[in-house]
Amino acid sequence: MMTEYSVEVENLGKDFGPVRALNTVSFQVRSGSYFVLLGPSGGGKTTILRLIGGFERPSRGHVRLMGQDVTGLPPNKRGSTMVFQNYALFPHMNVERNVGYGLKLRRLPKQEIRERMEAMLEMVGLAGLNRRMPNELSGGQQQRVQLARSLVLGTDILLLDEPLASLDAKLRKEMCLELKHIQERVGITFLHVTHNQEEAMTIADRIAVIADGDLIEEAAPREIYETPQTSFTAGFIGENNLFRGRIEKVEADHVTAVLSAGKVRVPRRGLEVSEEQEVTVSIRSELLTLTASPPEGDGNQSLPAEFVEQVFLGLTTNYLAKLEDGQQVLARGIGEGEGESFAPGAPLHIVWETKDGLLLVK
Amino acid sequence: MVEPGAGCLIAMPPSNPSPPPPPASAPVKDTAGAGRWREFFFGERGLPRLFFYLPLGFMVLFLVVPMALTLVWSVFPRDRFWMKPGFTLVAYEKFFDSGRVDTFIASIYHSGISVVVAFVIGFPIAVFVRRRIPLRAQHAVMLLFILPFMVSELIRTFALRPVLGRTGLVNNTLVNLGIISEPISIILYSPLATIIGEVMSFLPFLIFASFLAMEAVERYVFEVCDDLGSRGFNLFKDILIPLAAPGIFAGSLFIFVNGIGLYIIPFLLGGPAAANAGVIVTNAIGGLDYPLAMAISVIMMTLMIGLLYLGHRLFDLTRILEPIRR
Repeated sequence: MMTEYSVEVENLGKDFGPVRALNTVSFQVRSGSYFVLLGPSGGGKTTILRLIGGFERPSRGHVRLMGQDVTGLPPNKRGSTMVFQNYALFPHMNVERNVGYGLKLRRLPKQEIRERMEAMLEMVGLAGLNRRMPNELSGGQQQRVQLARSLVLGTDILLLDEPLASLDAKLRKEMCLELKHIQERVGITFLHVTHNQEEAMTIADRIAVIADGDLIEEAAPREIYETPQTSFTAGFIGENNLFRGRIEKVEADHVTAVLSAGKVRVPRRGLEVSEEQEVTVSIRSELLTLTASPPEGDGNQSLPAEFVEQVFLGLTTNYLAKLEDGQQVLARGIGEGEGESFAPGAPLHIVWETKDGLLLVK
Repeated sequence: MVEPGAGCLIAMPPSNPSPPPPPASAPVKDTAGAGRWREFFFGERGLPRLFFYLPLGFMVLFLVVPMALTLVWSVFPRDRFWMKPGFTLVAYEKFFDSGRVDTFIASIYHSGISVVVAFVIGFPIAVFVRRRIPLRAQHAVMLLFILPFMVSELIRTFALRPVLGRTGLVNNTLVNLGIISEPISIILYSPLATIIGEVMSFLPFLIFASFLAMEAVERYVFEVCDDLGSRGFNLFKDILIPLAAPGIFAGSLFIFVNGIGLYIIPFLLGGPAAANAGVIVTNAIGGLDYPLAMAISVIMMTLMIGLLYLGHRLFDLTRILEPIRR
């Protein structure tokens, strides 16, 4: 029987001596979904994963897997298995013994072990490499063996601790998609920890942003990217320009915010805000343009700035400008850009459509 | 090999076969003779180069030559107080056609038991220290096992006599507890006493070797085992022993060879029934039968080389004290 949420974390926290690694975190992971814990290093995301897997004991709170409280149980008595970061294979066992070892410990018949092991090697794309030793495999292959070793146990939840972190960029992209496809095929819950936002965007059904021992926010990848709820997320995901300021005037569906470089109108998004409140305005770099003269009308917002430089990156070009208070602003265009070109130090305006300004109060 | 000149202890200008004339401003003080000496002591092809051959010289002088002499002397005929050049296999005959070979085989057997007992006690200790003691304290704990070595081997072994003797600690305790009615007299002066003495003396070596091997077992191995549910006996049998095998082998070999060759323990604890090769050799020397002593040494060396070869084939001894790595 499937429960609606395969992983439920309730007020979970962990202290290492006087150091608080994880404050108090609660979230739920829908069964059969691909859930990513995303955040900077040292933010507590791996701690969460290890608490769920049973490798650490929580200082407070509870973990429920498949509706059952597993807080005090050892790792092998939970409905989860872990894929570790650093090619964590048994170096003295070949591929098939590595993959079959968990089943052997469960005293399954040899024939069944063999069948399940072969099927799993097939699924992760390692068929025929049964006899290879770990040191004869590439990094990507080793991680596949780890994946097979965990999946072959047939648990309901797979925990992945930065599984792609030690692979090179190209391989990481391939493996990323493949992980997603494997998850879709086996249909179990994947809980994946990473600090790489591109990786998270590629595979996740939902992303939880973790930083400084707290869950900052949780949403689908698209929401996280387009409408982050906090200035932390806006700064961490994508390449957003964040402007600090305070509210001068509150209207029904817009507010006017005073930034150090000027006044702008921003959609209110139904937020409870009051005058004089400190806020952040976030504008995605690809929605920002640089122009010599500010456009007329209410549909656009602009701030005066001066041009710094442009950097051609192939697919996109980054344009850097500087506000009067010295803050750097990034605008991105596709290709070489058809817009105006500027000399360094030239005065200009950074412009965005009013609807693209994102008001953040947290 | 070492690049020529890499061993220069003092940086010197390179010496060319035909050096260009020195610049006019350079003071030319060196006579040709002094230059040659300087070249000899500090130059690229001079003495410093030879430092690299010092260990080689040491090995030849103190290992190869004595071993070769042992082999040669073992086939010399016996003279009254010494030996004389010649060729005879009398010494080997004396060994194989007497009770000595039985004693030798028995000492192999008892030594093997010591190794097994030391492994059963020592390896779990090494694993325990590696897993349960905080990382910072592990080496300090290991150092504690060196403490017994501050007491002389002789005294440590001798101290077992009042413990194992007929009215010793073990017997008295057992009698007082009512477990036995009569003291057991065969504890001391028996192979059992030798095994106890050997385990007590050599256990630290097995612990050290196992610990070094365990130290190089990555921490993730334990976590993966937790995750898969490999515990207790399975953990040792499937994972830890295979990974630490080279270290275990090194420690075991040490105990085994000492058990056969070291004569103090059987001499003090074993009595006549528990002699080993070391005791036979000592007796042979005492009887001025040097060729026999040499022959037994040659047989021990052969055994040792054979075991090392076996170990090398099994575990690659170039990486001894390491676990099998990726």
